[in-house]
Amino acid sequence: MIMGTVRRMSGVMVAGLAALAVTATLACGHRENAPAGAAAAKHSNKITIAMIAKSSTNPVFLAARTGAEAAAKELSARDSIDVEVQWLTPPEEDGQVQAQRIQQAVNGGADAILISCSDASKVTGAIDDAVNRGVVVMTFDSDAPQSKRFAYYGVDDMKTGQTTMAELAKLMDGKGKVAILAGNQNAPNLQKRVQGAKDEAAKYPGIQIVGTFNHIETPQDAAAEVTRVDNAYPGIQGWAMIGGWALFTRSLLSDLDPARMKIVSVDALPAQLAYVDKGITPVLLAQPVYKWGYVGVTTIVEKLHDGKQPPEIIPMDLVRVTKDNLGPWARQLKAWGFSDVPQQYLDMK
Amino acid sequence: MSRIRAVIRHLLGSQETGLSLVVLLLAVALTVLAGSHVDRRTGELVNNFLNSNTLIQTATDASFFAIMAIGATVVIISGGIDLSVGAIYALSGVSMALTLRAAGPLGSGAAVALGLVVALGVGLLCGVLNGALVVGLRVHPFIVTLGTMWVLRGVAFVITHAESLLVPSALTAVTKASLGLGGGLYPVPMVCMLVMTAAGAIYLTRTVMGRHIFAFGGNLEASRFAGLRLDRIQIGVYAVSGITAGLAAFLGASFYGSSSSADGQGYELYVIAAAVVGGASLIGGKGSAVGAMLGAILIVLIRQSIRTLHFDQNYEWIVIGCAIIIAVVVDQWSTRLAARRLMRAGARTQAAA
Repeated sequence: MIMGTVRRMSGVMVAGLAALAVTATLACGHRENAPAGAAAAKHSNKITIAMIAKSSTNPVFLAARTGAEAAAKELSARDSIDVEVQWLTPPEEDGQVQAQRIQQAVNGGADAILISCSDASKVTGAIDDAVNRGVVVMTFDSDAPQSKRFAYYGVDDMKTGQTTMAELAKLMDGKGKVAILAGNQNAPNLQKRVQGAKDEAAKYPGIQIVGTFNHIETPQDAAAEVTRVDNAYPGIQGWAMIGGWALFTRSLLSDLDPARMKIVSVDALPAQLAYVDKGITPVLLAQPVYKWGYVGVTTIVEKLHDGKQPPEIIPMDLVRVTKDNLGPWARQLKAWGFSDVPQQYLDMK
Repeated sequence: MSRIRAVIRHLLGSQETGLSLVVLLLAVALTVLAGSHVDRRTGELVNNFLNSNTLIQTATDASFFAIMAIGATVVIISGGIDLSVGAIYALSGVSMALTLRAAGPLGSGAAVALGLVVALGVGLLCGVLNGALVVGLRVHPFIVTLGTMWVLRGVAFVITHAESLLVPSALTAVTKASLGLGGGLYPVPMVCMLVMTAAGAIYLTRTVMGRHIFAFGGNLEASRFAGLRLDRIQIGVYAVSGITAGLAAFLGASFYGSSSSADGQGYELYVIAAAVVGGASLIGGKGSAVGAMLGAILIVLIRQSIRTLHFDQNYEWIVIGCAIIIAVVVDQWSTRLAARRLMRAGARTQAAA
């Protein structure tokens, strides 16, 4: 009977133990500064910051992580404290999972949370719970303004949309058909940028918006959407891209004619630099994404360690990237940890 | 005495016992390896895993999947599959939020009752639609629910205009009630999960409909010859799946305070994975509500372990994927072994005769 019982149980047991083994293997190979046992007890000179960006598959948030870890290292050395950044970003955008990660961070003993909200209304309750339990929360990139977070660091999304369209209108001498590439239709920060772009376009009687086009936020989906729209609306002369996804591919380099088409795009990551060089995208409006992490961690440490009270809104300025400053910007990206910056741009003056 | 022995034998021999042991083992490992921190409120040293907040939070995270997994298990036992549960979750949640917004200010009780009725009602309608399409069109449920997955999410998107909709605080107050525990503990989703598991177990094992579902999934031809109303059973299982997705949506939207058309994306895979890890067989005729709940808890616990032990969380999908494949493969092996043992025993009996 015992053998029979063991046999019947063996399937699930082995499966579970195998999962445990896989987990344990990863523990050996990929454990990230894990505290162990009583040694994990918090000391007064240790600050643990849980960083929850929107998606760990988006390169801009990986740059933000690099910035956060650099700031943690610098501040640890400067102030003789131990600043640890725990990366708790979900693999895909999901407000509910972010709310769960906030709870996990609080239960795990984090002192602070640095978050870019996928869905502000979904995480506001969790942020408020965290603050009520003594954990300070700061937002970056995408805010939760109704929550108890103490500060927000990021661009003014409405202004970003306006600037994108204003730059495009300037390139097109204030006339022509344009389209707006808008990413995830559920993201409130992108909705604001689209509104800003539309408001700005209304100032130019010669500019006609043929449509606002959403897509799954992957480079391939974005580039495919641009191609589809270009085929469907042959008269389009300009694109206002309020996110840079489509230009993370190389396909549009050959598909778009710089003599016929002008693009102004938010973001200026390594893959986008070729579009500036070729003249398809004369202007990129870069968010210094590294600073999301760097400024975020610095602000939190200064609040917790030095008792400084920052302003509630810390504005991030866009950097205008053109052919004139392509070299310095490429070197800046390299310094921020981007490993795929083409050498030809690094060599530019 | 012999009855007690039979019950013990049954318990020891059940797949759920094995799964419970795995969950327990993982919990013990996490407790040992998790480390500790000083609690801000009490100043006491607390284990990073074995503390009431983390345990209830883990159960809460599992509850939404587990409730849906119970419905998915019912479908899988019947030999079907429902890929639209994530979309039903989103549509039920946003329908509830829109209805409550349109209804204007209501008393707490009325708001909760209306929200629950709408979420369950929309879930039920979607489930019946799935079942009716499977039966009426004679198309494989995989294709039908793949289609309705897109249709229902599209409807949710169109009716919300991509807005994230807040739900009244009365609903959040109910789902985040501390039930006397205090200290930021919210056990309501966990309690709902346990109640639904008990209800699912009774439905599957103690009702005529439940036995018919096993018969339908286990041997379709035999069920037909036995005169079972197959169409009704098939529509019924998708209705149950829809209702559980509606209930999970009510709990999720209320707990987190809002609902959007993007909610529940990819949840169908977690839900099916929970059912399969919990012992449901994709060829039908096998599965249990308790197994579905334990499967959901195990998957969430694996995700939790990655966080608690500070692993690089980019490995989460690899770990969960491996666990699911291993669970299914080993389960198939053990089923084949059991079948071979039965055949050998039969051959021995024949030889002896």
